[in-house]
Amino acid sequence: MMVADELAMMNPENEDFDPETESESEDEEGDQQVVKLSEPSKTAVYNKDGLLERLADISWPDDLDWTHRLSINREEQEEVDVNDDLAREHSFYTQGLEGIRQAYVNFQSTGEPFLRPSDYYAEMVKSDTHMEKVKGRLLAEKRRIEESEERRKARDNKKLAKDVQAQKMKERTKQKKQEIESVKKWRKQRQQSGFDKEDAGGLDLAFNGGEANKPYQRSNKKRPGVSPGDRSGGKATFGGKGKGFDKKRKSREFKDSKFGFGGRKGLKKQNTADTTNDFGGFHKGDRSAKNNKRVKR
Amino acid sequence: MGKKRKHTETEAAAIEETAIERPKRTLLGFKDGSTEENKETSVVTFRNKEKVLVTCSRRISYRYRHLMLNLVSLLPHCKKDNKVESKDSKGATLNELVELKSCSSCLFFECRKGKDLYLWMAKCPNGPSVKFLVNAVHTMEELKLTGNHLKGSRPILTFSSNFDKQPHWKLLKEMFIQIFGTPKDHRKSKPFYDHVIVFSILDDHVWFRNYQISCPHNGATQKIDRGDLEKMTLVEVGPRFCLNPIKIFGGSFGGPTLYENPFYVAPNQIRSLEKKQKAGKYAKKVKAKTRRKIHQLSNPMEVDEFADMWKE
Repeated sequence: MMVADELAMMNPENEDFDPETESESEDEEGDQQVVKLSEPSKTAVYNKDGLLERLADISWPDDLDWTHRLSINREEQEEVDVNDDLAREHSFYTQGLEGIRQAYVNFQSTGEPFLRPSDYYAEMVKSDTHMEKVKGRLLAEKRRIEESEERRKARDNKKLAKDVQAQKMKERTKQKKQEIESVKKWRKQRQQSGFDKEDAGGLDLAFNGGEANKPYQRSNKKRPGVSPGDRSGGKATFGGKGKGFDKKRKSREFKDSKFGFGGRKGLKKQNTADTTNDFGGFHKGDRSAKNNKRVKR
Repeated sequence: MGKKRKHTETEAAAIEETAIERPKRTLLGFKDGSTEENKETSVVTFRNKEKVLVTCSRRISYRYRHLMLNLVSLLPHCKKDNKVESKDSKGATLNELVELKSCSSCLFFECRKGKDLYLWMAKCPNGPSVKFLVNAVHTMEELKLTGNHLKGSRPILTFSSNFDKQPHWKLLKEMFIQIFGTPKDHRKSKPFYDHVIVFSILDDHVWFRNYQISCPHNGATQKIDRGDLEKMTLVEVGPRFCLNPIKIFGGSFGGPTLYENPFYVAPNQIRSLEKKQKAGKYAKKVKAKTRRKIHQLSNPMEVDEFADMWKE
């Protein structure tokens, strides 16, 4: 019988449907775009009376209580484009929503319980493990979105930070200039008002005088707790420890300051003009030779 | 039950007629009541004893099998059966099977070539049957469908307005109500309503959706006011599919054809056409080549007078 059906379908009219629709049916997944005949086939059977008769045969009595059928019809409906997924699903959704609103009103009028109590547990359609998976997926998606958001924010911030930094630098240089200017003004005023040269010399500190214009030199003063080669500005040894081992710490500090600790050794071990000219520790002749030999052996 | 009572979808009038003879076969319920009372109750109490046999053909693909299992989990009033060989004579075997299982309707998933799914929906002893082509299948297992609802709670069935416009849609609607609706007071059904099934006709296809109703209420009171109704939302549970009706037959799995979809094109034809289009490619190329050759021969190039100008 099935074969007969198939043959009946293959009437010659099927040959001529337009190429646009047939090109749409590429694969199984894209079967939402359904191929149709461009015009209805004329041989198709449509026995309306027979259909209505069958309907009368199977249908339940008309005066049946609504609770048996639980069916709700949508009254009016706007046309929806089938290929617009969002509009289509929205239409289905609204149909369902309107349906249940009506249904719940109906249920309420009957007076029987219809809402599931919160303490009613029973087997669900989907298992707990499956729902766990669903939840995991939702969470993962949420996390992904958040992360991308954060990344975007960081990117924006970086851009902004550059501007802010530039602004700050500008301000700083401006302030510096202003300060120098004001000091110069002040000095001029002092000179005009006739102060001692000596006093002025004494006050002639960093600005304009020797030191500010000289390149940076390392002071030879020994700073307590800072090794000579330390470049961390003395912060390395003060690691932010507690006061518990003060005594030990002090002696250690002293030793460190005396002998040096940490930092680069390179500068200490390099020859300078002084060390090359200094023959203080140099021993001539045999001893060193002997030593060398011993080493070689 | 002593005897199987006949199908209950007979009309009220018919019951009235036969009700007079009823007391003869009193084994259980008709002992003490008078004939008058029996008549009354039998008219008033309608009992939906729908039972659906769900089966599939052999060589069904896993996706379609999952769809079938999803439907089985949605229909507490169904019986799942073994796979059936999809032969020409399957109608007879299926009818027998349905009778054997004492079901009143049947959903038969027929998979052909491992890719086309046909769904037979039949009312069984003598009712009509419909053959659909199933498209756009999404099973419940998909993680995108996040809803969940009680297993066996009765669904609310909603139908779009165009179901009442044409006789074949009317018939389909009645069949959907009877087959997908869980009978009232079915022993496996739960007493609460927490999902809704949407049947909608769009583009001459029936679209099936199943939503969970998520309603903000405290379970203690069974009252819902306007605000609650406004706040209600739906979450899709699945499965979703789209049914393209091909034919409606008068009998179950056979009988006279009552309706035939005038727009239907079989997927086999679609594929063969596609193939034909692709097959023409080489022939076209050869044709183009020969055409070009002929063209070149018929229009020879002029001799260039400056061709050997720089030869000397």
